[in-house]
Amino acid sequence: MAFYVDIRRCIGCRSCEVACERVHGGRGHVQVHFVGDSASVPLFCHHCEEASCATACSFGALFKEGERTAFDVEKCTGCGLCSLACPFGVVWTDKIAHKCDLCDGRPEPTCVATCPADALSTDFDLLARRARSRAARAAAQGGRR
Amino acid sequence: MIRVDPSLCIGCLSCSNVCPSQNILRTETVEERRIRWKRCREECDLCVELCPARALTLVPIDESAPEPEVSFPLVGCRICGRRYAPEPMLRRVEAALPKSQSPEWVWDCPACRRRAEAERTTGEMVAARRRRRG
Amino acid sequence: MTKVLVPTVCPYCGAGCGFFVAVERERAVGIEYMPDHPVGEGALCSKGNASLEILHHQERLTSPLKRKGDGWAKMTWDEAIGLVARGIGEAIREDGPDKVAFLASSKCTNEENYLIQKLARLLGTPHIDNCARLCHAPSVVGLNRSLGAAGMTNPIPDVANSRCIFIIGSNLAENHPVISRWVHRAKDAGAVVIVADPRATPTSWMADIFLQLTPGTDVALLNGIAHQIIKEGLMDREYIAERTRGFEEFEESIREFTPEKAAEITGVPAEEIIRAARAYASSPASTILYSMGITQHTTGTENVQAVSNLALITGQIGRPGTGVMPLRGQNNVQGACDMGALAEFYPGYRRADDPGTIEFFSAAWEAPALPTSPGLTATEMIGAAASGDIRAMYIVGEDPANSDPSSLSVKSALEALDFLVVQDIFMTATAQAADVVLPAAAWAEKEGSFTNTERRVQWSSKAVEPPGSALPDLEIICMVARSLGLDFDYPDAASVLAEINRTVPQYAGITRERLAKEGGLVWPCPSCDHPGTPILHSSGFRLADGRAYIVPVPYRPAAEGQSPEYPFLLTTGRIALHHNAGSMTRRSPSLIGRAPDLFVEINPADAEKLGIGDGDLVDVSTERGVAQAAARLTEGMKRGVVFMPFHFPGTNILTTEAADPEARIPEFKVSACRIARRN
Repeated sequence: MAFYVDIRRCIGCRSCEVACERVHGGRGHVQVHFVGDSASVPLFCHHCEEASCATACSFGALFKEGERTAFDVEKCTGCGLCSLACPFGVVWTDKIAHKCDLCDGRPEPTCVATCPADALSTDFDLLARRARSRAARAAAQGGRR
Repeated sequence: MIRVDPSLCIGCLSCSNVCPSQNILRTETVEERRIRWKRCREECDLCVELCPARALTLVPIDESAPEPEVSFPLVGCRICGRRYAPEPMLRRVEAALPKSQSPEWVWDCPACRRRAEAERTTGEMVAARRRRRG
Repeated sequence: MTKVLVPTVCPYCGAGCGFFVAVERERAVGIEYMPDHPVGEGALCSKGNASLEILHHQERLTSPLKRKGDGWAKMTWDEAIGLVARGIGEAIREDGPDKVAFLASSKCTNEENYLIQKLARLLGTPHIDNCARLCHAPSVVGLNRSLGAAGMTNPIPDVANSRCIFIIGSNLAENHPVISRWVHRAKDAGAVVIVADPRATPTSWMADIFLQLTPGTDVALLNGIAHQIIKEGLMDREYIAERTRGFEEFEESIREFTPEKAAEITGVPAEEIIRAARAYASSPASTILYSMGITQHTTGTENVQAVSNLALITGQIGRPGTGVMPLRGQNNVQGACDMGALAEFYPGYRRADDPGTIEFFSAAWEAPALPTSPGLTATEMIGAAASGDIRAMYIVGEDPANSDPSSLSVKSALEALDFLVVQDIFMTATAQAADVVLPAAAWAEKEGSFTNTERRVQWSSKAVEPPGSALPDLEIICMVARSLGLDFDYPDAASVLAEINRTVPQYAGITRERLAKEGGLVWPCPSCDHPGTPILHSSGFRLADGRAYIVPVPYRPAAEGQSPEYPFLLTTGRIALHHNAGSMTRRSPSLIGRAPDLFVEINPADAEKLGIGDGDLVDVSTERGVAQAAARLTEGMKRGVVFMPFHFPGTNILTTEAADPEARIPEFKVSACRIARRN
């Protein structure tokens, strides 16, 4: 499981940040970025297939576990190589590494469940369906939108 | 006590993080990171075991030897110029990643990587929204 | 360890999202979402997610306090109630009951608001109001007149059924974030979204058509749209003929109001006005969502009327996906109004000046001497306090010292009172001026019903005990009433709701048992077997002949305009991370940490002329005072217009007291100001 952002929907409310922080003992793994005054987008771990953070880790604290890039806090020394190896800047080190764990143990990642705008989803097909639906409507209206 | 091979040390602070006795001191300014190993009398070798660069060894105490100390200038981000990491750490990461990923972005700080990612994912949409606003 | 999940209703905005408070060892330890909830489907905004931070907050009031020198002394409840009874009682005896005023709270439950207004009126004072005066008083007045009911006509999720969504004067993406999920669902199905706002906001990001109008020109914009609709014959003639009256006069009144004329006044290009008119009128189901950008004007009631005119001439009302939707700001501002915590209405919107009303409540409450006229409104009370016409005030859960316009004069007015009681969960700026401060319970520390902005009445349960000796407002009000000799024998919220079932026809079928069994019920719900009424006006209007009233609305400019001395228009509003006067969100670490400072948004070209850079500290001044803020340069602001959020004390120092002549709402949205960089 990974999750996806429908960037058209993000309203920059930062609910995902606050919720993530709330369920992870005050250390959140999501950061909402604003692009000028025209857009916002939540940035979080992509759970990359070839995870650079895991490659850079000397002690196996970061590793692939199915689709998830998992983290074992017991093995982390806080060296920060993973943070420097993440192409997206979303693995954090603050004496110890921390990153998105897809809310292991919960039915659904908290950011997905809480997103007021319904911008986050664990279902890639949902995003594709929405995009197709918008494209079909645009075509039906003569492409005027 | 701990002997440090400065040619191997990458300045990552693992040793300082894992030391149960706070015997490995760190100071960081915007310009540089400095690490000092106090003359440690513990039997413990946690820092040695957990050094990703294998730069540390446990040696008998020697009162006359100076306390080892290393310092690393921090590398400035290619984009914003903010200094963010010791060069050996970045070299090590760059070497570890497959060439196919062309990892020159390691020379951009994580904050700039996030900014770039945000701009990349929203670029088209931002242009459309600005057009609509007129 | 057993964890108990207690269902509650979010204490922040009027959307009324539900969530469970997880309780362990009598402490609130977490939030669990409620995926079945009809409004939010489990979602919560940042404020909802941070709401528990105020429950166990170290600054909570935990004991009754009385003024002692420059500080405060704790006292027992017995002593506190005695002081309050003496203070209020003396004012009534010496000066008369009409020298005493009550402010109820749109944060309190329906049951508590019902009791506060009942207490005020049984004591013989007509002066009872709540902060709805500052947000949607024009909706109450305007919609009652034109549609016969004041409330959102359709449920929030029904927005998804719209094919054209017209959002005017509402930044719902920040202020009611969950509503944006329904807007997007409509967009996926092909809906056109029109947003009219002086600022580009995250709400305008959703827009297909963005109308960036000059603050205070809403009537001109709406009349221009109506003109174009009529000119192109896009109105619904059949609907107009069967369901409305007043169309001819209206048509005549806007004959000259061409899109070009509207463009001149509003600054919105005429072709955009025409596009909006066509999109709204020709879609099979169009809805209008509005908020304080419409109401907080000297023309607030007229703005509301202009909104409802648009819906009426196109017949975009009374069906799924249509409607007139005032989005209300507080979790129970709808309920506080329904319960008659308003200067001009008794419970159930019975007019205070109607003898039938007095007869009904005299019988229901066994009270022969009820006040028979409308009372002073929330903002008028403050003026009367300054002039000595009000001598004592009892304020529950409101913070006029921060939330009212021209707030420096509010503080001196409160200090001029002989006696002031403030009942709240924190020591607010208003409480600082009090003689007695009573510590109240927060939402999850008590039970009762709340009515959200779509008229959905929901029961919220008690999760944890209030801190220290704080008590639910309901218990405090009952103690005060009894000590003043009134027979307030209400053991719990359910017993008050039972009385509401008998005295408020819209709530007759909304019983404690049904709320527990069926979840939320939408008023009007006239009997116990009635399912509630999610969509209003589907078979006519509760007005003479069952017809709605189309009201001609002339355009009047705002009270203040740009001048050489004050060359900018200041408009105020809210941001996603804070709520209203900020007494809760400014104490919530995960919110204040993300939005710590007062800022002023300004167009970069304006800023350059003034030598102001992004982040510079500036002085914003109006005729009423000066506030400091950090400049935030953004292309999203029109030239000549600046914006400040009102969650911080500085902003309302600046705003004007000029008010709508009928609804008495102040014009928070337009104040002439000047800006200068601080050295």
